[in-house]
Amino acid sequence: MTFKRTILLLIIIFTLTSFAIFIAPRMQEQAEITPPQTVYNDSKDNNNIIIPCPNEHPEWRAAQIIDDVNIDAAPSCEPDNPYDIATSVKGTNNVSMATLMQTNLAQDALTMTDDLDHDGDPDVVHIKLEVIELNGSTPDGDFLINTFDIAPGIQPGLWVYAPKSRGMALKNFNSVVANPMLRAPSPVIRVEQDDKVYITLENTHYLPHTIHLHGVDHPWLNSKGEDNDGMEEHAVFPGKSHTYEIKPRHAGTMLYHCHVQTAQHFMMGLAGMFIVEENRPNNWLQTFNIGAGQVRHPSATVKKTFSQEYDLHYQSVDKKLAKIIQDANDPRLVAEHMSRDYNMTESFENYFLLNGHSFPYTLRDAMIIASENEDIKLHIANLQRSAVAIHIHGHKATITALDGVDHPPAIQITRDVFDISPAQRIDLHLLTQNNGLNSYGPGLWMFHDHTPTGTTTDGLEPGGNMAILAYKELLDEQGMPKMHDEFFDQLFNKNYYAKNMAIWGEGEFAPLLADAGLLAPNYLQIILFGLTIGLIIGVLLLIILAYKRNQKQ
Amino acid sequence: MKALLLVLCLLGVNHFASAMNHSGMIMDEKGMIMNANSDKLPNDCKKISENIDITIHAGHKHALKFNGKMFAFDNQEWDVKPCAKINITFINDDQIRHQLMIHGLPGYLYPEGMFHLELNGEGQLQASLIMPSQKKTYLVHCELPQHMEKGMKAQLKVDGGDGDLPSIPGLTAPVRADFYFVDWTQLSLSVLVFSALLGCTISFFIILNRTRIKDLFTKYLIRSTQKGG
Ligand SMILES: [Cu+2]
Ligand SMILES: [Cu+2]
Repeated sequence: MTFKRTILLLIIIFTLTSFAIFIAPRMQEQAEITPPQTVYNDSKDNNNIIIPCPNEHPEWRAAQIIDDVNIDAAPSCEPDNPYDIATSVKGTNNVSMATLMQTNLAQDALTMTDDLDHDGDPDVVHIKLEVIELNGSTPDGDFLINTFDIAPGIQPGLWVYAPKSRGMALKNFNSVVANPMLRAPSPVIRVEQDDKVYITLENTHYLPHTIHLHGVDHPWLNSKGEDNDGMEEHAVFPGKSHTYEIKPRHAGTMLYHCHVQTAQHFMMGLAGMFIVEENRPNNWLQTFNIGAGQVRHPSATVKKTFSQEYDLHYQSVDKKLAKIIQDANDPRLVAEHMSRDYNMTESFENYFLLNGHSFPYTLRDAMIIASENEDIKLHIANLQRSAVAIHIHGHKATITALDGVDHPPAIQITRDVFDISPAQRIDLHLLTQNNGLNSYGPGLWMFHDHTPTGTTTDGLEPGGNMAILAYKELLDEQGMPKMHDEFFDQLFNKNYYAKNMAIWGEGEFAPLLADAGLLAPNYLQIILFGLTIGLIIGVLLLIILAYKRNQKQ
Repeated sequence: MKALLLVLCLLGVNHFASAMNHSGMIMDEKGMIMNANSDKLPNDCKKISENIDITIHAGHKHALKFNGKMFAFDNQEWDVKPCAKINITFINDDQIRHQLMIHGLPGYLYPEGMFHLELNGEGQLQASLIMPSQKKTYLVHCELPQHMEKGMKAQLKVDGGDGDLPSIPGLTAPVRADFYFVDWTQLSLSVLVFSALLGCTISFFIILNRTRIKDLFTKYLIRSTQKGG
């Protein structure tokens, strides 16, 4: 082949290549006169639709007396198990076996004995807590086990303290769903001032943990001279147990949390509210408020002033941290990935929970349900990483205590946004009197963290810790807000939270605001491009062959 | 009020002492036994074939012999004859709760197909069960969240069993295995490079000597056909 011919062929290749680049079909193209059609949400996809209220135990809603324990009505969709409440009030040692059988509590989960001050209630309390992993991994396949959905289809790995339980941890042997007692958040624990309380951590988990009683009056060492502050260097290892001992002299809304690898373990969910109630006669307390929310057996002090009491536990999840326990099963790998590979200073909060759920699941068990002219006590704890700014629409409430210390009435503040730093608690007096200040009247009033991220689930609205202060008459017989059916159809759907559905994909404006479809491919362009590429390859082969032939000669 | 409390406490004590026997469940402060069966024969068994005593320990220390586990039983497999009666002594060596569950048993003898021992902490329990005659492998595990996943899993075979279950520590592979880093050293890298070079050399050698190799091959073929013929 002559030099001239080579040059000519090279020029041809260069020209063809430039043409190919110019004409190459791309992943995205500009539409000309007609943009693509609108694509609508798939309404036939029933697998991902979730019933707003499963209504599993309607009989649990009514006010009732179990084993002589008065249990207030709870009109919400998912009321607490009243047998759990009766057992939490009397102790596993004092309730009837028939009641205990209706719970998942172990027989030594909560023993209450000895009326030391002779005022009609037990004063020696033994509480046993286990550490439970939710949405954890399994070597037996590509699925999660002991699942707990915080929102439709959202299953971040979580750790919680749970009252010592018994029997199946799953709903049944063919299910991977955790039994209802194993859930976020870690349970609210209530004890009486001056009681002798023994809190035993039985570490059923595969990593070490402790219990640190934040703000609760406790000596630094227990009666055995061992650690009583739950610090990192006194970790309770897997399969071991340790008892913390307290006799709290001061009443108020406090916390308990793990202090091992604190940043990570706290963010995994090992934190809860610990409330010390004033010592009063005949003050049988609801020791566990599983899942937080409404307290169906309030203390003597609360009952004096308030008609209802709620515990509100705000919590956030970093999805990358949560995923560590789902990606590996080997405890050594989990330990390494969580403590050393994961860097919390380069992380975000993605999920925002109120009482273990994100909207719309908050509607099932995290609503405040009120009538007009009620005095309602709220205990709010911020157990998330960032500060919260809680706003209750249509209401202004009054701060009665900060971090478990009462505010003198003269300096109590009434306002509509409550800023709470991480680990802080406030007690609120919510008055539902339609007076233009405390309440603007009945409604389905939203309440939420006003920090913009707080009302999202992984950035998607509406989600996060949004919930509703609902006036009773606006709820249906299952405790769900009336007049919201269409909205529910859209939100109680795994596809919505998987971000597969258009926000305004249904109704009158769907043709205008649902998803834009795909552009039709330009076949002329594709064929030209294909031909050009083919030509280039052909010419190249020709050159190679000619070169080889030249060498042989 | 004091009297009431006393009564309550007495009642409490009473519960502990008497233990509850509730549809196949015996429960006390130590733990519980569900669906124990020491005398009812399965329909397919005429008599008990053998009487076996098995002691099963549970605890974190039994996981020490398995890499990457946290909780385990001291044994991972048992094999019994059809219609065997197994007397289990379940010993918990930890300070926390552990269970011993056997699944897949006939429902008419064992409600929900389950035999279940549970110890609230350190201690031991004893209970028996009678296996059917079918050749089958039964899952034995502790169902506390992450206990089976972290190693507390075993299998009970009747008549050699009908296969193995996955993810049994030291016995069978997991379905979803973890990823670990490979220990790439200078030595293993040089082995890799050397093998690649060797491969190249071999191919060059073959190409350069292709005629001679062809000859050798044909000769060999001819000779072998002659021998065969
Ligand atoms: Cu921890
Ligand atoms: Cu176990």
